[in-house]
Amino acid sequence: MRATKMNKTISIARWLLAPMMALLLAVAAHAATPGITGGTGGTATFNLTAQAAYISQPDGQAVYSWGYGCDPVNQPAGFAPAAIAGPFCNTMQVPGPTLIVTEGQSVSVTLTNGLPPSAGNTSILFPGFTLTSTSNGVAGLLTQEAAPGGGTVTYTFTASTPGTHAYYSGTQGDLQVEMGLYGAIVVLPASVPGNCTANTTTPVGGLPFAGANGVAEAHWRESDFRLAPAAYDHPDTCYDREYLFQFSEMDPGIHRKADEQVTAAGACTAGAVGCSLNVPTEPYHPSYFMINGRSMPDDMDPNYAFQYPHQPYNGDPHMHPGEQVLIRVIGQGRWQHPFHEHGNHVRILGRDGNLILSPTNVTYGTVAAPGLAGPLMFTTTTTPGLAFDGIFYWTGKGLNWDAYGHNPGSSDPNAKLACVPDPNGYNTIAPTAINYYEWCQDHNKPLEVAPFGDVASGGPATLPDPNLFTNGPWFSGSPYLGPNATTRATAGTCSSGYPGTAGSSCSTTGTTPPSGTIANNPSSEAGFAFMWHSHNEREITTNNIFPGGMLMMMLVDSREFVIDETN
Amino acid sequence: MQKIYKLVLPLFFCLAPLTVSAQSFRVQCPTSTVTHPVAANNNSEPQYTGPTAFTTAAGGYLTPSSNVNGAIKCQQISGGDGYSTMGDGTQTYMFSFGPLSGLADIANGQPGTESPQTFNTVYPDIFQPGDPATTGLAGFTYNGAVGLVPDLDCIAANNAATAAGTAPPCPGLPASGLDGHVDPRQMMDVGVMNGNIPAPLMAIDEDDEFFLTLSNVGMIMRPDLFEQHTVHFHGYPNASSFYDGVPDASVAINIGASFTYYYLAPEAGTYFWHCHITPPEHLQMGMVGQLYVRPRQNRVPVGNGLYAALHTQQTDPRTACNSATDILCSSPVPAATNSINRAATGNYAYNDGDASTYYDVEYPLQIHGFDPNFHFVGMTFNPEGFADMKDKYFLLNGRSYPDTVTAGPMQTVSADGRSHVSQPLSAIINIKPGQRALLRISDLDVSEYQTLASLGVPMTVIGLNARLLRDQAGNNLAYNTNSITLGGGESLDVILDTCLVRSIAGDPSSTCSTAMATGTYYLYTPNLDHLSNDAENFGGLMTEVRVN
Repeated sequence: MRATKMNKTISIARWLLAPMMALLLAVAAHAATPGITGGTGGTATFNLTAQAAYISQPDGQAVYSWGYGCDPVNQPAGFAPAAIAGPFCNTMQVPGPTLIVTEGQSVSVTLTNGLPPSAGNTSILFPGFTLTSTSNGVAGLLTQEAAPGGGTVTYTFTASTPGTHAYYSGTQGDLQVEMGLYGAIVVLPASVPGNCTANTTTPVGGLPFAGANGVAEAHWRESDFRLAPAAYDHPDTCYDREYLFQFSEMDPGIHRKADEQVTAAGACTAGAVGCSLNVPTEPYHPSYFMINGRSMPDDMDPNYAFQYPHQPYNGDPHMHPGEQVLIRVIGQGRWQHPFHEHGNHVRILGRDGNLILSPTNVTYGTVAAPGLAGPLMFTTTTTPGLAFDGIFYWTGKGLNWDAYGHNPGSSDPNAKLACVPDPNGYNTIAPTAINYYEWCQDHNKPLEVAPFGDVASGGPATLPDPNLFTNGPWFSGSPYLGPNATTRATAGTCSSGYPGTAGSSCSTTGTTPPSGTIANNPSSEAGFAFMWHSHNEREITTNNIFPGGMLMMMLVDSREFVIDETN
Repeated sequence: MQKIYKLVLPLFFCLAPLTVSAQSFRVQCPTSTVTHPVAANNNSEPQYTGPTAFTTAAGGYLTPSSNVNGAIKCQQISGGDGYSTMGDGTQTYMFSFGPLSGLADIANGQPGTESPQTFNTVYPDIFQPGDPATTGLAGFTYNGAVGLVPDLDCIAANNAATAAGTAPPCPGLPASGLDGHVDPRQMMDVGVMNGNIPAPLMAIDEDDEFFLTLSNVGMIMRPDLFEQHTVHFHGYPNASSFYDGVPDASVAINIGASFTYYYLAPEAGTYFWHCHITPPEHLQMGMVGQLYVRPRQNRVPVGNGLYAALHTQQTDPRTACNSATDILCSSPVPAATNSINRAATGNYAYNDGDASTYYDVEYPLQIHGFDPNFHFVGMTFNPEGFADMKDKYFLLNGRSYPDTVTAGPMQTVSADGRSHVSQPLSAIINIKPGQRALLRISDLDVSEYQTLASLGVPMTVIGLNARLLRDQAGNNLAYNTNSITLGGGESLDVILDTCLVRSIAGDPSSTCSTAMATGTYYLYTPNLDHLSNDAENFGGLMTEVRVN
């Protein structure tokens, strides 16, 4: 009993520190779908390596892993999206570099085997694509392989279908994929449907949009972080924002054993007696559950954060109300994970780059095309070897109270904004308004029975004394969206501007309940936070510690909060 | 193995020595609201003849002027602990929710969701710990909010103010004195150790306002824990972050206090709910329940056309579903027109416009798993391991076979020496020959996927994740199968149709002219290792479909 108590104290202290630190770092670090490009024109060329390195986990462990990376001499032609700052591609990363190509391009991937000699050959499979040629390399079971000691192999295929795809080792997959040899290929559509580029007002350097989101982004000085205006050659696959999530798990016992055997074999001669590994991969007891190679809270740190030289990609989705958000999801490990998206359903567009379509046309605006037939899901199973694309949005439609906490009796001009419903019921007439995409049926409709700061009263619900509840680190400080609403909920008002922005003039009386909010600042962000996580709940742990693992917070941010995915 | 929240809470206590009001438990169930302005109409569902018409009120918001749809529903639950009985007789400790309204309904396998006139009633007797089991289920009919009593302080203060000619300090106090004030003794007498698996059933109708009060009575077997609990409405579209029940993103109610969740019912479908505090622990320990939303189409007047009624729904942007402009449109108008009318009996799972989701009887079935080692550790103050969690009891509605085919509520003697209703929901599927049964299946297993197969009665999957299976053009994507597989956090809707030939082909609500043979059929898991109750190599995820 006494020993248990000691343990508890130590681990609580450690756990208080670690997530707090990480959360502080997480501010203003958002996601996008970063990756490397292989050049424009008919051929995309990539030079990858396979190497060993240690990847970092939030319990302090450095786990010996293998991963694909970029050849230090033949660096990638470019990084995308262009708006992301400070990209790098080291010689080893988990997941491997995301290869961004365009439909119809011939893709040439040269792999150099930089794994320890005792690890033997390695290779890459490109499921869903047909190899047009393979050069160099040595014969393997599933494909041509790169021999140890710097052997190379070149695969060439045509990026035949748009969408999200996986690539991973085809050599002793039970060990090599577990060790981290996997990555993603994003194929952008060759011809984007015209309706997805109808609105050409965009931020500087941005791509056209289907709707007025580019107008809004330009107004709020956001950058465009999309790779393309549409996911497929289909008029209902336009999107405003995109994120890529790769799910995998690790059994640290396998990694430790591999490390020991590689070290023992040393600089042996490949193929010589004893220059091989014998790492049992069963029974399998994973205790790290990762999204994009990181466990929560590390996954919410920036892309290309310096502290993760071998895990450059994050999982930190943000969006504004009404934005169509493309999520690209790949199952990369051994197990299925039920990925639950809080906040709304996801329309599944396609699997492994295959759109799921109806035999019957739907007229999207003026464009007729086969209707989408993928399911609507709130829990999207990630399956090893399977990629899917889906579209998500959040608007707050039907809450039956004004999520912005408008109050026509306020002195604050932001509390008295108009809501003019379009035929679908949303306020889209003024893309530059902070309540762009507000659901107008609930405009000005009160939530609280009694006045709640400067938010109108007369509603159905009564909040308990705030001292009776515990605030979460992502609690915005009020039930309402945006720093202006949260400021008014605490009886403050603004005579001009928006709280948290330069040049604004706001008063706050500060009756906000004692807030533990450190990751969603009530005075500058005040977003609506939703948890996106594996619903095999034991997987939202890191090596038996909760919280951790396959978990991230998705933030719906009010328009005046600049979603900055630069890093 | 530890949780940051356990330390964060005392920090708040340290930082803010607070004046907590004496009245920390309270319930909320208004008899009328902006959306449902006439109290007398809010205790039952009005027929659906068209979308609500609105006018702009003084506050600048819309209020209904005619065609008020839906009603008000209220429910109260406890968050605490309790015990349940496994199929091999083992008494298992749980973190759990229990009913604090609809006690009689819950014990009868019904939802504990009540109308205001039922919810806002005072218990005429004195609650005994363990009620309703202690008093006895046969004579127990009370479905109101446990603890609700007239607010005597407010009554006296208002009376004094009236006598003195001053403003009453409790404006709006109804004549009954019932303003949500509760007697904490009743809350604790009934709420402590009254945990259920599954957690209390909830059922609401589209257009309803739902007031769900969670009263945290504490976990008496774990005095070392000062855990909050929350309710996550799993799968709610366009959810409110504040009411989403994720403690990290919102607020969580402390022990000895109540929090009322407020939602307008979302689109029809089979959802479910659970606590979102330390999910690997609280879900494994049993804080999972069932929740479904019934469609507007049920309220179409008998004899009216379903297709036309669905077109009527298209005229209100809130209830419309336009595939061309809304990629998450869930119930598009069927691709082909039809002349099927609202049936005289039975109901529909979704707003289908063609009776394709018609059913005669419905059964919620929740799949879950218990790891007895984890539950033992959870009861004994030891650190819990998550990675090696391994379920050994496989549950349908909180029961393993053969308990699944025991009719009526199951009781478990708990650590307080009282017998409590612990598993109110039987898993027997009774269908009359020729009838269609809707199985609302949800899975809240926290460690692995589960498969449920049907022996004899074909399954038709009509809905997935609380959404009608239909493409954007309105084509029916329902499919026939013999088994379904779900991961934790998923739900689907299955129709078991015992009719071979119907009088009107294409109308599932028409009379059955040839029914399948009567008899007992089985639902069971082909994950054969899940057909066990811990060491007993027989039991687990199995129940009977009784066609007779």
